[in-house]
Amino acid sequence: MGIALVQRYEQIGKEMGSVGRMKLAMLTKLSSMKAAEAEDSVSNLKMVDDAIAQLRKGV
Amino acid sequence: MRISTKLITITLGSGVIVTGLIVALVLELKSVSTGYTHILQGPVVQAAAARQAQVDFKVQVLDWKDILLRGQNPEERAQYTDQFHAQEAKVKAEVGTLAASVDDPTAKALLTDFLVADDALSAKYQAAYGLYGKQGFDFKAADKMVDGQDLAPNDIFDYVVNQLNGQAVDAAAAEKAKAVHQLLILLTIVGGLLLVDSIVYCSVLFGVLKRLGQLKTVSDRLAVADIEGLSIDISGHDEIGGIGESMKGIEAALHELLAVHAA
Repeated sequence: MGIALVQRYEQIGKEMGSVGRMKLAMLTKLSSMKAAEAEDSVSNLKMVDDAIAQLRKGV
Repeated sequence: MRISTKLITITLGSGVIVTGLIVALVLELKSVSTGYTHILQGPVVQAAAARQAQVDFKVQVLDWKDILLRGQNPEERAQYTDQFHAQEAKVKAEVGTLAASVDDPTAKALLTDFLVADDALSAKYQAAYGLYGKQGFDFKAADKMVDGQDLAPNDIFDYVVNQLNGQAVDAAAAEKAKAVHQLLILLTIVGGLLLVDSIVYCSVLFGVLKRLGQLKTVSDRLAVADIEGLSIDISGHDEIGGIGESMKGIEAALHELLAVHAA
């Protein structure tokens, strides 16, 4: 279960709202629903963290 | 591999094949031309030279007859005798040159036979000329000595010409068969290469069209936000694969949007 992944979606939702979550899903190609089903693997976490970093930079 | 790279490779491949075909056809044309030139410079020219020698031999015989008919006049006799000997030497030289140049053994043997027969005939002409002088330039006895004896040597030329013409026809037929054989090999190779090129081209084309069709189906569903159960299975390291990846992002974004609004 991708608890850590979902937490990141919720965190970005708090920071940037629904648009941020949508952009995160677009960048990772993973919706929060699917993230919840995915593993909190190192690669998945890195992918989401990289996307969040991009969003925070305003890309 | 990118679609553009595949198409450029196939196009360049076709260009190389067509260029190769053109070069090979030019070389083939040159080879055929050389072959026919060899025939023309060989048996055909030799047959013409044999005909010329035959004509000169007939002129020599006519010069002999002029000696007999006009020999009563010393000036004319001297003139026609000189002409006869000059023509005789000319014929021997022509046939000697021809015999040395022909490759065909039968023609060579026939020409050698002519030279032997011509030498014998020259001796007879000389004897007849002596008799002609002794008998007060009465041509009947001298004419009787050599009458009709030029026919057999003359016929040899016909055999030589037939032999050389036959050789030319055979050589032309062989050259034609060789050209057809080479052309068939060339067309088979080029046809095979073009077939392979066409198969690769069709394979790429149908692959692209199939994946474009999948892309359109996904695009149509995304356009109306129909993402329930949507599976985007368009992968690959080319332009279509890239668009497929982008659509996965759009699909995920739509899912997220619907999830946020549903919450």
